[in-house]
Amino acid sequence: MPSSQVPSIAGTALDPTAVRPEIADAEIERIAPVQLRARLAELRAEGFTMLLDIGGVDYLEREPRFDVVYHLLALPDRPATVAEVGVPRRLRLLVGVPGDPASLPSICDLWPNADWAEREIYDLYGIVFEGHPDLKRIQMPSDWVGYPLRKDYPLRGPAREATPRPAFALKSNVPAGTPPGGKVAAALQKQIARARGQVAGNGEKP
Amino acid sequence: MEMMPGQFMLGKIDDVARWAQASSVWPLTMGLACCAIEMMSVTNSTYDIARFGSEVFRASPRQADLMIVSGRVAQKMGPIIKRLYDQMADPKWVISMGACASSGGVFDNYAIVQGVDTIVPVDVYVPGCPPTPDGLLYALNLIQQQIRQGGRGGILAKA
Repeated sequence: MPSSQVPSIAGTALDPTAVRPEIADAEIERIAPVQLRARLAELRAEGFTMLLDIGGVDYLEREPRFDVVYHLLALPDRPATVAEVGVPRRLRLLVGVPGDPASLPSICDLWPNADWAEREIYDLYGIVFEGHPDLKRIQMPSDWVGYPLRKDYPLRGPAREATPRPAFALKSNVPAGTPPGGKVAAALQKQIARARGQVAGNGEKP
Repeated sequence: MEMMPGQFMLGKIDDVARWAQASSVWPLTMGLACCAIEMMSVTNSTYDIARFGSEVFRASPRQADLMIVSGRVAQKMGPIIKRLYDQMADPKWVISMGACASSGGVFDNYAIVQGVDTIVPVDVYVPGCPPTPDGLLYALNLIQQQIRQGGRGGILAKA
């Protein structure tokens, strides 16, 4: 997607019903969690046979807190020629999920590849998918506590968050325009000056 | 040196053992991240780790002497590395290759172990992001030097 088409999330992120501005490559639809399974089953029957991915977003201060995004693709049914293939339809389905308890119905029976995608979202956001055959962590170690992609999860992990980051020397105390110091820099400066003819005599001893 | 039939050499067992050990440091086949690409390139003819007798990357930790931690260590990978290290037979050495393996590097976050030396004892740290293959070869040379001088882990050295 060219950058000119990237929809701005400012303004829409905090509006629970907002649908992103239209973009060229996909239809976008926002529905409520109760409609989710019925709508997805309908879309699957309509020809969206491929579930590309499921994504999660945490808006933290928004209500509902999370968005789960289903990316669907409709491929034409067995085209006879290349010309018949056409442009596949893409659809992005957004579902708002409240923070507590965060749960959604699983869609593993509609698209079996939803299995790992739902596990990943459970692993990183803590959204429970009701009816999932084997909902356990997939990326993080199985005994991990917490959901790392939540916005309120400390970046360095709960155990290390209190320890200070190592301080790095900043060069801001050197005034701007100060020439670099040291022997190598001095030799370079001399070379440059000589090349510009500012030092009289060629081959003169320094 | 050319040896003729019937000739022989005298030497201390310790010296001979150290010479043999330093000349055949076999690394474990284990690549963790982008540093592993540089690690693989030391086996190519350009750098040729075989010059130092270390071209035999062993797939089993039972047969390996050297663990090259080549890349960032994820929290999930940590226990596995510890286990591989424990499975390696003594004497054994560890190279921490690159900024991430040595200190976590730019990954100052929940997912990455902040230095593999919190899990296994490290003999040589190689700086760089990633280090050049020459850097890794130099680290290997340092380990060989350690072995020849009777450093930690020599065959007759005290544990």
